[in-house]
Amino acid sequence: MKTRSTNRAVATTAFVAFALVFAATGAFAQDDDGGVPAGRGAAAGQGRGGAGQGRGGGGRGGQGRGAAAPAAPTPRWPDGKPILGSVPGQPVGGWGAGVTTLPQGQLDKIPFQPWARAVYDIRQIDQFEPHTRCKASGVSRQFSTPYGTEFVEAPDLQRMYIMDNGGPNSYRIIYLDGRSFPENIPPTNYGYSIGHWEKDTLVVETRGLNEKFWLDTRGTPHTAQLKFTERFTRSDMNTLHYQATIDDPGAYTAPWTTTDFTLRWRPGEELFEYICQQANQGPTLMIGSQEEVDNTRFFVP
Amino acid sequence: MSFMKKPLAVAGIVFALGFGAASLHAQHTLAAKFDPAKSLTLTGTVTQIDWANPYTHILMKVAGQPLPTLWAVEVEGPLELTANGWSQSSLPIGETIRVEGPVARNGSKQIWGKSVVMTSTNKPVYIGTNGTPKPRATATGPTPRWPSGQPRLGPPQGQTGYWGYPTRGGLVEDGVNVAMDRYGLLNNIADAAKVAPMQPWALSLYRERQRAFLQYDPMLLGCKPPGGPRQFQQPYGFQFVEQPDFKRVFVLMGSGNRNRRIIYTDGRKQQGQLGGNDDNPLFYGQAVGRWDGDTFVVDTRSFNDEFWFDNGGLPHTDLLHLVERFTRTDMGTMRYEVTVDDPGAYTRPWKSTWNLNWVPGEETPYFLCMDNRP
Repeated sequence: MKTRSTNRAVATTAFVAFALVFAATGAFAQDDDGGVPAGRGAAAGQGRGGAGQGRGGGGRGGQGRGAAAPAAPTPRWPDGKPILGSVPGQPVGGWGAGVTTLPQGQLDKIPFQPWARAVYDIRQIDQFEPHTRCKASGVSRQFSTPYGTEFVEAPDLQRMYIMDNGGPNSYRIIYLDGRSFPENIPPTNYGYSIGHWEKDTLVVETRGLNEKFWLDTRGTPHTAQLKFTERFTRSDMNTLHYQATIDDPGAYTAPWTTTDFTLRWRPGEELFEYICQQANQGPTLMIGSQEEVDNTRFFVP
Repeated sequence: MSFMKKPLAVAGIVFALGFGAASLHAQHTLAAKFDPAKSLTLTGTVTQIDWANPYTHILMKVAGQPLPTLWAVEVEGPLELTANGWSQSSLPIGETIRVEGPVARNGSKQIWGKSVVMTSTNKPVYIGTNGTPKPRATATGPTPRWPSGQPRLGPPQGQTGYWGYPTRGGLVEDGVNVAMDRYGLLNNIADAAKVAPMQPWALSLYRERQRAFLQYDPMLLGCKPPGGPRQFQQPYGFQFVEQPDFKRVFVLMGSGNRNRRIIYTDGRKQQGQLGGNDDNPLFYGQAVGRWDGDTFVVDTRSFNDEFWFDNGGLPHTDLLHLVERFTRTDMGTMRYEVTVDDPGAYTRPWKSTWNLNWVPGEETPYFLCMDNRP
């Protein structure tokens, strides 16, 4: 028990420090319709699990430590394809958070259906984000947690895993073996992802997403009809460009494409154990903001 | 598996039938939640189907005075139901069903669907099999190897597969013969002291957990990770992803919220996953691995005590030290041997061994424990 209370104290201290760094850098408030206000949102909602790691990694998100040094060229596999994750022979590393909110910079131009715009607006007030209740959050949402992601490439298995630190310690699979989508994909939080290369850009299409997570921290809505396309381009060792196209006739009147987001390489940043539900003792209390609690869903443990 | 580009390079793929209905069970022993001594038969109208892990729930309205009652009927999760030929649309909303089964111990309006029958057709739904159940694939052939000659823990190059169907569902010391179900629930609680060399307090706690039918399992209640040997006791299995370039091995689980565990093989000291230390012990601990001939030996410390490291609820403390030995004896078989050294809970180190079976051509089942939590 002594160990555990020490852990909590460390976690609290770390979290406060983290929040300060977070606020100071403003790394996630690059835009008036984007970003997570310091002290709430994903990291705040999840309590000590990750903060207990005492890393304060969030403050570096989007900034990069080696910003001053000239970046090395895009690393490549022997077959010439870009390496999106760690480079053999070098220490492993990961990408900092880079996606703030998908409509960033063009909110008024997004072809929302009226109901979807209404949902988006209400979510700005009541942020019932599933992520804060330890739900796995797929596609673009993976690139929003301050602890970042790691791309685990397994060329001999023709697939890649994207692991985000800051969710429920899980993984997303991207198939690179040229397969096509199976019929009747059961909807899931990560969906079914297939990637192919267009020159130096990895294009990943995802279908079979359910509606149980948000695409970003601000609740850009989607339905299970969503076809989500992501474009990953590593322009140099330290820079990964990310762009998404949202094709969801359930929520939008036309497909639309996000701005170009930038993720920064964090050399030496290994994955660490982050168990969101470690401190989530009362899941029903985790729903909603301080003002409201959503009890609409039937809960059967 | 029409999307597989390469045929399985394994000789003799056989399909073992008959594992269907009962082989894959979700998360808890039935008795953890329902009281077998208290059964009811209810007839009601289906209002909603919550098709989610770990269990599917049929919500139904049962007529009553002055108001109807809403009941939740628990049946197996989507993975089992799908494997047995059922789909979410097998039971339309508005259909009237008759349900028979044990009711929840805690008095809530929940019933286990031992029998669920659509009254319009008098046919069972979600119980047993519907049409042809999915056969279970198994594999035979020699142990696959890397070019270096080292055994491959995961799939052969370009293939897919995972480890599942553990031959043991609860931890018990090798050589001890006690009867328990696949969730580690003892048939006879008088056997408790035989299971492992527990210290008196640990034995008391183990008995307490067993007497409560394992219902206070942190994994069941709060989706806490199944660390330690328990990750290899789960019905939805796991996959190994080896990254020789970076000298690490991932264990990617099907259950327990599809957690990941990292085993470092780069010769580092007991550092394991970053962030773990005396002040911040971990669910999966700090794991370092090395090869001893054809056996992958993993040494793990720095566990916390916030989870059960065994389906059956054997206790552990944060002094737990595990040595796990993985030997792929052939294409289809992984022998798993764990030495439990926990001077906080046991009187001496002890060993437990079981096998895992390779499921070729399939992805690790998608199972998020949090799915039917709010």
